[in-house]
Amino acid sequence: MTATRKRTLRTAVIGTGKISDEHLSFVASAPDVELAGVCDLSACSAQFAAARFGAAAYFTSHAAMLEDCEPDVVHVLTPPATHDRLTRDCLAAGANVIVEKPIALSGAAFESLWAEAEGRGLSIVENHNYRFNGPIQTVHDLLTRGELGDVTDVEVRLSLPIRNEGGRYADENLPAGSHQLPAGVIHEFVTHLSYLTLLFTGGFDSTRATWSNHGGGDLFKFDDLDALVLNGSTHARIRFTCQTFPDAFTVTVRGTEGMAVADLFLPHVYLEKPRAGGDKLSPMVNRFVNGKSLMKTAWTGLQDKIMQRTAYEGLTRFLEGTYEAFRTGGTPPVTHDDMLMTVRLVDALLADAGQREAHLGMAGHGRAAQ
Amino acid sequence: MRLLITGASGFLGRHVVAEALRRGHSVRALVRPRSKFAASDWSGDIDEARADLRAGPPPSEIFTGVEAVIHLAADKSGDLHAQFGSTVGGTEKLVQGMAAAGLKRLVLTSSFSVYDYTRIRMLSVLDEASPVAAHPEARDAYCWTKLLQEQLVRREAEAGRLEATILRPGVIFGPGELWTARLGFKLSDKLWIRTGAWSQMPLSYVENCAEAVVLAAETDAAIGATLNVLDDDTPTQRRLCRILAASVVPTPRIVPVAFSLMRGIAGLGGLFNRFVCGGRAKIPQILKSESLMARCKPLRYSNAKLKETLGWTPHYGLDEALARSTTATPPYDDVLAKIPTVAAGAHAQKSRTPSGSAT
Repeated sequence: MTATRKRTLRTAVIGTGKISDEHLSFVASAPDVELAGVCDLSACSAQFAAARFGAAAYFTSHAAMLEDCEPDVVHVLTPPATHDRLTRDCLAAGANVIVEKPIALSGAAFESLWAEAEGRGLSIVENHNYRFNGPIQTVHDLLTRGELGDVTDVEVRLSLPIRNEGGRYADENLPAGSHQLPAGVIHEFVTHLSYLTLLFTGGFDSTRATWSNHGGGDLFKFDDLDALVLNGSTHARIRFTCQTFPDAFTVTVRGTEGMAVADLFLPHVYLEKPRAGGDKLSPMVNRFVNGKSLMKTAWTGLQDKIMQRTAYEGLTRFLEGTYEAFRTGGTPPVTHDDMLMTVRLVDALLADAGQREAHLGMAGHGRAAQ
Repeated sequence: MRLLITGASGFLGRHVVAEALRRGHSVRALVRPRSKFAASDWSGDIDEARADLRAGPPPSEIFTGVEAVIHLAADKSGDLHAQFGSTVGGTEKLVQGMAAAGLKRLVLTSSFSVYDYTRIRMLSVLDEASPVAAHPEARDAYCWTKLLQEQLVRREAEAGRLEATILRPGVIFGPGELWTARLGFKLSDKLWIRTGAWSQMPLSYVENCAEAVVLAAETDAAIGATLNVLDDDTPTQRRLCRILAASVVPTPRIVPVAFSLMRGIAGLGGLFNRFVCGGRAKIPQILKSESLMARCKPLRYSNAKLKETLGWTPHYGLDEALARSTTATPPYDDVLAKIPTVAAGAHAQKSRTPSGSAT
């Protein structure tokens, strides 16, 4: 990657849907970042976003925006099927690109895109925001310090009511574009589930995924995923469901020395490990410590609700690191290997669903990419 | 006239369709693809077109023969992006479709929610000249998106691409829609806080409102006008609450709180948000001055401009409107297909009662 070494980075944003609020909030408030333009096919939407976040100009053509604004960085926040084309256009215009997940719809497509960026001396970075949420970083730090021992089991669980009437995914009048993705609506979430799994397993050798449509009907391809991911002696389970209450996004990591549960919706880490008092007293001490921590979480959860802090807290850290890398020429916090391994795991999970016609052999690829 | 009515399957939409048919217009009802609306359920010159305005401009054939568009489709629920997509994005696509079809006449149904109730003096008259919300983001997504929708239509009209009338109905009520946010704040299905007992309720009975909407499409003098739509009888909140409590079952338990007390509490809530939370806190509606003022501030209202421009008077007074709202059959029963067309016309005439005799 070529170092831009520019103090102020000119940024442009393509796509002004709901996720753009999070990106634009960061860009509007980040030091040494200038929001040069926003673009959406809807002029009203582009104009509204420009007014809310102080963009210098708005466009309905991304080509016109790239030409007029000459951005250093572009955020591509459009539906997944458009990511490849738009990212290539941004690269051709000389911009580094931050792309919402999934950056590509297959491992092969990602490698082609990466080669394009590398050939131009530019970077492409996929948003892996949940990796940077506080609870995930806490669990990762615990592992790094060896407090959980060696990882043996991981469970990444996301429970969202995607079939609820009135929700954007259940709208039969205007079906969300993600219904057309290989894994349907779950494709929007499987990237998150995959990179979080890989963060704690370090790779994968094999997968066995069961994709289901428990709710039936034609709108949803799948509404449920239950997958086993093996990496050496480490077992991981990826679980997506719309049937359980309450909504939840948790990552459980069990190791030879302890276990931790990171809760992303109500930020908290439940931790069990050997405590002072030895084997006999550790279980009781763990419960006292976690009880105190849970009570504190109840209060901070209320504060978060009032202050409108969302589970996107990690996005700010991700973007700060990414912009710093763009500015200095360093390595972005989400690397080529992170992205490649993630998209390959998604490929493998999809292959189990029989959704991909041209599926590459996955076994060992994740490991090889480490 | 040949009228295209968007949002025809909605609460107001069904009554506008009925009124348009009663008045002898040809109706094309634009409804979403999965809507249960069926033109065959109606008697009269009506057909239906299916399209979701959020998806893109409607195909040009939808506008074939249409002389005016009555645009009612909007979203009241969901987050800012959902409401923006339906209310503003949908209007943008509709206007694009109209431009492609060379059609200019538009009647837009906006809302009373666009006014800035914090800047209108207590007990003064709210009319079309009253200021609109300077900071709609401080109130709610509905106010914000309806204001943006109006601005979009006004821009297009100023550019000569539309001949628009903007209608701002007050609280539209009718069958199944009797308890309104203007009565106070819902704490649960069984418990409401009522505050602002002496506030006038800017009520618009749905059939009266529907007639004003159709009249606006018929009236050239309404082009370029913005008109508040409300009935003559605007009861106090206390009076309406008592009437509803006597006629609507089940009735929630109502806890009256003095408006001055609620105003003080909301003021403290605003100060807490500003100085402690840096203005970033999401405060319950009941503790937001902007919402409290919008719902319960004691004001008076005028429908003089509407009457003058359209020559409209509300057919139904409050008592009759409430009676029609609580009967088992819908008020537009007379134009449903089960009634032969000729008899339907006679029924429609017979069912009309001057508002004077109803009150």
